[in-house]
Amino acid sequence: MTLQQQIRANRLKSGIVVAGFVILLLIVAGLIGAIFDLSLGIVALAGAAIYALFALLQNRRMIARMTGAQEIDQDQIRPLHRLVENVSIAAGLPVTPEVRIVDDPAPNAFAAGLRPQTSYLGVTTGLLRTMPKRELEAVLGHEISHVRHRDTYLMTMATIFAGVIALLADIGFRMLIFGGGRSRKGGGALIAVLAIVGLLLAPYAALLLRLSLSRRREFLADAGSAEILNDPEAMALALRRLQLDTTSIKYADASVAHLWVESPTSRVETERTGVSAMSTLFDTHPPLERRIAALEQAGGFTLPDALPADTPFAAELGIT
Amino acid sequence: MPWLWILIGVLVLVAIVAILGYNKLVRLRNEVGTGWANIDVQLQRRTDLIPNLVETVRGYAAHERGVFDEVTRARTALQQAGSPASAAQADAGLTNALGKLFAVAEAYPDLKASENFKELQGELTDTEDKISAARRYYNATVMSFNTAIQSFPWVLFARGLGFRDREFFSAEGDTAVPQVSFATGS
Repeated sequence: MTLQQQIRANRLKSGIVVAGFVILLLIVAGLIGAIFDLSLGIVALAGAAIYALFALLQNRRMIARMTGAQEIDQDQIRPLHRLVENVSIAAGLPVTPEVRIVDDPAPNAFAAGLRPQTSYLGVTTGLLRTMPKRELEAVLGHEISHVRHRDTYLMTMATIFAGVIALLADIGFRMLIFGGGRSRKGGGALIAVLAIVGLLLAPYAALLLRLSLSRRREFLADAGSAEILNDPEAMALALRRLQLDTTSIKYADASVAHLWVESPTSRVETERTGVSAMSTLFDTHPPLERRIAALEQAGGFTLPDALPADTPFAAELGIT
Repeated sequence: MPWLWILIGVLVLVAIVAILGYNKLVRLRNEVGTGWANIDVQLQRRTDLIPNLVETVRGYAAHERGVFDEVTRARTALQQAGSPASAAQADAGLTNALGKLFAVAEAYPDLKASENFKELQGELTDTEDKISAARRYYNATVMSFNTAIQSFPWVLFARGLGFRDREFFSAEGDTAVPQVSFATGS
């Protein structure tokens, strides 16, 4: 798949995602209307539309809050900014995305923003402390690829709409439990049961819709990084390093899980349930092992057993 | 009568394919243009840094005339280079000359300790990194543009429409960008 095809496919999918969410939204609002009152359904719908619009305009700030990414003066992290600049130039991006820092010991990174011009990258301090320059560059390449492929656009849309539906279904459900419905007509019991089931399932439907978008593009972003930097091994090494790391991210907010380079929640989930087959359905990311294998196959190399013991990039930034 | 309709259908189809194909070529050509502009910006930045650097080194090592001349000459050659290939050649020449300049600087501890010199050296290293980054992008765009106009059926019309092969930004001994292709099962 060429870059242009990828971008076009993403635009199309973004359209489908928006349409899918609108339909889901209508269903949820319809359910609320069916249980309580038609006008309440309309109010819910209008509220959701306003919320979605607001979120769309505020997406940068919203994602920053959900991930805990701090704005920072780019001069203070000059070596890092330079690295991002170089990767952006190699990727042919029109502008260099701003870098924000997430103060978290777990190594991870993400990209956010609707357009390349307004995108920014989030990097955890843990990533800077674990990755040497070459591998950090590969991770940045992965994130820049997401920006370049317009994955961030699609993902941001999906995040916002999934959030709206979850919120709405939650409100509806609470009202059902605590407020009680208005007097129901005969045969309303069946409708009520169906409505409850619907309200319960809606957030999961939104979640699945969002997840289905995510996994393939991780492979593509890995490949993008390998292509931009002309160094598939660096990406594979970085993934291996992430795999060996055992710290989990503090801000494991499930609603932004798909934005990170490595799923911040999957490890927690797998440890908790102990069932990995089950988790693949709900995973935002393919297993790191498979991503490494794909890179090895494309690049025609095998990773050494031991990772290079180079100095982490944090040293250059003066972070310890 | 059906023949007429079939003919019209085929013509419309051909027209659509031709329009889409032409637009693709234009887009690829523009990408090459952007890629070249990126390199140009960095080359410009590099040439702008040189006079300052030469002056700084001259302040400590005035008698190393030959090296200064060589750097200045290499810089002029880069400024005058017209095509991507000759610019790449001149850029390699400048790298070579700068290498000698820095080798000379090694012999002057005061110079090496000077803040100004260190800063310039850092700037130059950064610019070189950026040139190589911009080069990777540019060469990739040239690769896809050239492939597009050398493929059938555009190979028949491309020249007539004013699409010419573009030069890679590479000095001799360089290899073009290898393409990483991915076949994933997911």
